[in-house]
Amino acid sequence: MSLTITCPICGKRNGYEFRYGGEDKEKRPEEDMFTSRAWCSYVHMNKSVAGTQKEWWCHKDGCGAWFAIYRDTTTNLEVSDPNEDGSKAKA
Amino acid sequence: MNRLRHLPTLRIRPEDEISIHFRGKIYKGVAGDTIATLLFANGIRIFSRSLKYHRPRGLYSLEGECSNTFMQVDGIPNVCTEKTLARSGMIVKAQNVVGSPEYDLMGFMDKLSWTMPAGFYYWLFHKPAAIWPLAIKQIRKAAGIGNLSPSFEMKGRYDENYLNADVCIIGGGPAGMCAALAASEHDLRVILLESRPWLGGFFDYRSADYTEDLALYERARALANQVEQTSSVRVFKHTSMIGAYNNNLITAFQQGTENDNFTERYIEIRAESVVVATGCIERPLLFENNEKPGVMQVACAHRLARTHGLMVGMAAVFSIGHDLGLEAAIDLHDLGLNVLCVADVRENGQESKLIAKLQERKIPILKGWVAEKAHGGKCLNGVTLTKIAETQKQKFNCDTLVASAGLTPLTGPLALAGATLAYDDHTGFFLPDKLPNKIYTAGRMLGLSDAFAIETSGELAGLRAAADCGTSLKHEIDAAEKELHALPGPVKGSQFVTATRGGKKTFVCFDEDTTLKHINQALELGFDGPELIKRFTSGGTGPGQGGIPGHNLPLYVRQLQDADNKTVKPTNVRPPLASTFLATYAGGGHVMSKHTPVHSSQVKAGGKMERIGVWYRARRFSEDKSAREEIVNVRNNVGLLDASSLGKFRIHGPDALNALQRVYVGDMSKMAPGKVKYTAMCNEDGCIIDDGVVIQDGKNDYYFTTSTNRAGKTVEWIRYHTRYDGWDFHLINLTDAFGVINLAGPNARKVLQKITDADISNDVFPFTGCQELMIESTIPVRAMRLGFVGELSYELHVSSSFMQAVWDLLKENGEEFGIMNFGLEAQNCLRMEKGHLIIGSESEQRTTLHDVGLGHLWFQQKPEAKTVGAFALKETETQKGRLKLVGIKMDDSSRTPKEGSIIVDEKIRGYVCTARYSNSVAESIGMALVEDHLSIPGTHLKIFEDNLGDQRLSATVVTMPFYDPEGKRMKI
Repeated sequence: MSLTITCPICGKRNGYEFRYGGEDKEKRPEEDMFTSRAWCSYVHMNKSVAGTQKEWWCHKDGCGAWFAIYRDTTTNLEVSDPNEDGSKAKA
Repeated sequence: MNRLRHLPTLRIRPEDEISIHFRGKIYKGVAGDTIATLLFANGIRIFSRSLKYHRPRGLYSLEGECSNTFMQVDGIPNVCTEKTLARSGMIVKAQNVVGSPEYDLMGFMDKLSWTMPAGFYYWLFHKPAAIWPLAIKQIRKAAGIGNLSPSFEMKGRYDENYLNADVCIIGGGPAGMCAALAASEHDLRVILLESRPWLGGFFDYRSADYTEDLALYERARALANQVEQTSSVRVFKHTSMIGAYNNNLITAFQQGTENDNFTERYIEIRAESVVVATGCIERPLLFENNEKPGVMQVACAHRLARTHGLMVGMAAVFSIGHDLGLEAAIDLHDLGLNVLCVADVRENGQESKLIAKLQERKIPILKGWVAEKAHGGKCLNGVTLTKIAETQKQKFNCDTLVASAGLTPLTGPLALAGATLAYDDHTGFFLPDKLPNKIYTAGRMLGLSDAFAIETSGELAGLRAAADCGTSLKHEIDAAEKELHALPGPVKGSQFVTATRGGKKTFVCFDEDTTLKHINQALELGFDGPELIKRFTSGGTGPGQGGIPGHNLPLYVRQLQDADNKTVKPTNVRPPLASTFLATYAGGGHVMSKHTPVHSSQVKAGGKMERIGVWYRARRFSEDKSAREEIVNVRNNVGLLDASSLGKFRIHGPDALNALQRVYVGDMSKMAPGKVKYTAMCNEDGCIIDDGVVIQDGKNDYYFTTSTNRAGKTVEWIRYHTRYDGWDFHLINLTDAFGVINLAGPNARKVLQKITDADISNDVFPFTGCQELMIESTIPVRAMRLGFVGELSYELHVSSSFMQAVWDLLKENGEEFGIMNFGLEAQNCLRMEKGHLIIGSESEQRTTLHDVGLGHLWFQQKPEAKTVGAFALKETETQKGRLKLVGIKMDDSSRTPKEGSIIVDEKIRGYVCTARYSNSVAESIGMALVEDHLSIPGTHLKIFEDNLGDQRLSATVVTMPFYDPEGKRMKI
């Protein structure tokens, strides 16, 4: 796996050590607000963007932490938070 | 054959004899020989027959660029014998021959080559349709090379290495070594990959001058010594780079030597920067019969002599296009080869010193001449040379033709890394027009020929790669650039010539028998780009991966189309760049498993051990597959089961309760002291994924268990579902820290009481109770009264280090009460009789909490915690058409259905989850998931099984539990 992921605790590590936790869909919404269809969409539907997406990873073979990173899905490389500064690849 | 035994460049150990088996005979060679050179030393000239035409093929390049020397070795087909070191005892067989390589009964195919034009399979292989059933068999037999026996088992040890490096250098020639040394001087970790078993590249076998008093091979060995003594450079020899991926991930495989503890090893290197210094191979010269045994490339002939001590033949003609050819002719002449003539494609531009040396030795040199046709039957016996673009010809009788059109860079690694290649007019090479990020090139592949320039370019690339790792090296890089600039630059490449028109037997691709004629045919049909022509003629699709045709195919197309140089691109290469065993990719096949703390005593007691998830557990303790004796003993006396694989966790901290509320469907805030709470976890779809018990040890401090299967995932699961909340809790996986013994049966209390002073009477320690006990006043255990198997039972959670002691005490003290081990089979039947479910057995991905009848576990008033799955449970609770878990009783008690059998009427209505003949109730019973309208007790079900024809097994839905419906026995 050519992907590397920067764990906030353990640093940049081989992608093999992590488990993918899906796209970031933001905090669980209030359930009362939902129709079953909307809830189903929240749980199962993905944006699958071609470009930079925020997504969750678990350092399963390391510290066990869950954290979010940004990844360019077209190059499969981790990138820095596009909201903070451009979108330069992390060192 | 007499070896040239005293050359200083040799890489063999003549005193060390080895022998291999070939054609029923023993062939002797020396250590350091490859299989192909060993056979060559024994006079073997024909190694295989070609794919389509069954033409004899011999030693051509020594670099593994074509399948000429592919043979079967120890049952493994398609071993590249020119790159594989021979080992004593190897059994070698020729491939793609009916008979022997010399007398191949399929040899007539060569005469039929006119029936096989380019893409003939597209033309021919469709009609008449009627002959296909027969034709397929014959074509299958003829197609492909090498046979693999279906019963073949790959032997050997296959290792894996995952490495990190600052700089990875591909190619251990002079440029690569200089790059490694330059990078290593700046405190960096360097990895150097070299495909040959030694470092040195194209310096290694040459005796020409590096300086006035140092030969090239001496320089190479000095450099190699220096590199190998540099501790920050890790050298992998006999290692072929096979892939490059983004983030500078380089993959390679290494062939083990006799001293290594692996046969082949997969290597994956994550490097900050990469230097590609793979050098050049030779561009095959295109002429009629250019692959006849006896025709070989310059470096092949030169290395056979200098590296292996083998003279190529008696009399040789050279037809070359590079100074290395002149150098080889002179050197081989001095070693005793009768060089009849040297034809050089180039009219001028030769190194004058080399011309003088040829003249000194009275070797005629023909400038602007080239081989037109090789003569001979199976092997070469002559060659016709021709002056380019003129009609003059000369014929020579010879047994060797050393032929090479010039050089071509090994750009495979660059192409894989994403570089685009463009034709360079000066060198005649396809070179990268833009290099990918943090990748550098060095050495001969840039067209450099001067030894100092090659080394300096290596140093420069090494410095640049080092600078990418965070060191500022501007000054050093400038100096190296300046130095390189002052040295001779890339040399002009030789022109592309094809002496003959037609080219019926002028092979562009040896692997696929693709000739110039085929390419002409493809062009005439309108296939206009090299990539399309490659597909249609299959040239370059063989195991050599375009090694031989990679350069000639696009150059020839370009010449015929008279196209602009820049538009012609070489064909794509793909990983793996070199043939690798699948076994190497598969790796060591490590069996990662766990043993419980009492594993050995389970085995000793005759336990039939089975892999359950990561654990080994005892299925049963006798030959009887139904484990009846164990079951009866638990029902009547007492049994003990090693349940250590159960997931065990502690969660504590201010938000521990919140976290439990989130993942468990029950209300975790209401826990009675000294009691366990049985509850379940669902996923977001409301489907049940786990069940277990929870105990409160203190405020926001809990101990809980999960099924064996979920033990490894639970921490991740809980943290995932609380990831947005920022809750403060600690979650500790105690699965391996504690073992579990399930002591079950009517005599369980009597046994336990013998080893503890605690009051464990039913009043003090009732069903669903939980207590800390001291065993023999020394060992603390956590005891719970649970009833999975439906009898009085104690689940003892014991620190792993005390497990064996407690186990042995129970066995010893239980003897008078008839204590016996029981295994998973007995447990499975016992719990089924009670209608207790196992997640994954009585549930699948779609099965909700309500479907298995555990809806009562769901506590709906937890809005704060937002229980995982709760929203979906609201929907599915009343949903129609779901599969529901029911108990079934077979109408014929002697006939138990197989697990997984489907329940049918005119459609599939469900399936049997678990079914056994129950000794306790003397019926064949089971549990099944059936459509809700069939779940009412009394419903008759039909069960389909294979081989029953129209017959169906019949069963009736009944209420559960089957055994002790009031549950009195577990509460005594």
